Amino acid sequence: MEMPRVSTSRTPYVLLALGVACLLTGSYFGLFVAPAEEYMGNVQRIMYVHVPTAWNWMLSVLFAFGCAVVFLFKNDMNWDARLEAGLEVGALMAFLLCCQGAIWAKPTWGVWWDWDPRLTSTAVLLFSLLGIVALRHFVDDPVKRAIWSAVATIVASIDLPIVYMSVKWWNSLHQQQSTPQTVSSQFHLPLRVNAFGVLFLMIGFLMLRSRIAAMRLQHELAAPPVLTGEEAGELA
Amino acid sequence: MLTAALRKELLLQWRSRSQMMAVFVFGAAALLLFSFAIGPNTEALRTFSAGFLWLGLLLSSTLTLAESFHAEMENRALEGLLLLPSNPHALYYGKAIANWLQLAVLGVALVPVMVVLYDAGTTQLLNLLLIIVLGTAGLSAPGTLYAAMTAQLKAKQMILPLLLFPLIVPALLASVKATSFAILGDPMGQATSWIVLLLAFDLIYWSLCGVLFRLVVEE
Amino acid sequence: MNQGVVTGGWEFVWAAYSLTAAMFLIYGVSLFLRRKGAKHDQRH
Repeated sequence: MEMPRVSTSRTPYVLLALGVACLLTGSYFGLFVAPAEEYMGNVQRIMYVHVPTAWNWMLSVLFAFGCAVVFLFKNDMNWDARLEAGLEVGALMAFLLCCQGAIWAKPTWGVWWDWDPRLTSTAVLLFSLLGIVALRHFVDDPVKRAIWSAVATIVASIDLPIVYMSVKWWNSLHQQQSTPQTVSSQFHLPLRVNAFGVLFLMIGFLMLRSRIAAMRLQHELAAPPVLTGEEAGELA
Repeated sequence: MLTAALRKELLLQWRSRSQMMAVFVFGAAALLLFSFAIGPNTEALRTFSAGFLWLGLLLSSTLTLAESFHAEMENRALEGLLLLPSNPHALYYGKAIANWLQLAVLGVALVPVMVVLYDAGTTQLLNLLLIIVLGTAGLSAPGTLYAAMTAQLKAKQMILPLLLFPLIVPALLASVKATSFAILGDPMGQATSWIVLLLAFDLIYWSLCGVLFRLVVEE
Repeated sequence: MNQGVVTGGWEFVWAAYSLTAAMFLIYGVSLFLRRKGAKHDQRH
């Protein structure tokens, strides 16, 4: 089994700074430069944070799934450290997504929540991720914890498309919701810039969080201190 | 090997059938409480009867699933079982099938309770049986996998539902919808697609969890 | 709502943007604080 290594490169900090810069730029364009949308008016500007968050959230889930699979094949604890990061960041982004979605839904649909397939699937996966994070807290043995969370992550990830499909089906029997499907070119710039902004932030978070996890794993997996001859003699 | 494992599971369950009675009472009590939560609105009760049935089953499953590894946890029997020249797949599928049977029997037993409490009678009994069989299979496969994990933890009562509930949402949705159509009528023949979804869910999870079980129980 | 056009709604826009910014900021700060804690543990 591979022991965890803690990197000390500056890359995450660079990424965080880049991410903030992109988000500030993209949001400026989205809030003040881009025109208001035809039907949704200014409320539609929420899209410039909501859609980037959504795209990157899906990436984080894919990342967590990837880490889980790689860990099970390679038995390398570094991948467990990354999985830990992926789970936490994924849960954070899922929660943020649900909040943003609710804030957008209130003025456009008139309700805070609706059984839109995307909202519902996100909420279900949020609970799945929180469950796995909770599981990690209850398992003391780091190797067992790693194997179990990898298994649970794989199971939850495979569930996500099934949940989405079943809710879409279920939902289509009730009502249709309209959302902007086609985005015209005037809206592209802030969307793209913010998408990269969230991406850089997210990668920076994942790297830093993996380091914290790796540090703790090193601590847990460290061999007990070797006794010198004197100390061993005292014990005898 | 699978038949041996299955025989052992069924024997264990038969020996603890008084526990089954207690779980049935729990399930029936849950259905009763749901009706109090809605109040004496017969229309609403009938409309949501399918949902209540499956919620009651789901809650009961946390009891039965958590208990299913109880025997293996005593005296480290699980390790002993794994040392035998049998494969962990037999252990998993034996357990999962036994859990499935237990939940299906519970589901069937709760149907008359539902009929009486919510005035939710139906003539489509075979259909209902099919839905209960497929739906409880969907609960049992991931449930057995997670039960094996959480049985080894101190906080097992808490963690099992936390992990299981989000996962089985598609199976729950499909079971509730299909049952609802059986009770309230299905003019456009939509129940079939829900049953197909259930079947797909079952196939995916019975294979996936079988593969992953070995990882969860080995030392 | 008239004719399906949403008027106003800037408060929702500000809410969404500030919530997003706040959550990212708080999470970033929590990472820094936890990093200090983890490094401290390692010294032992």
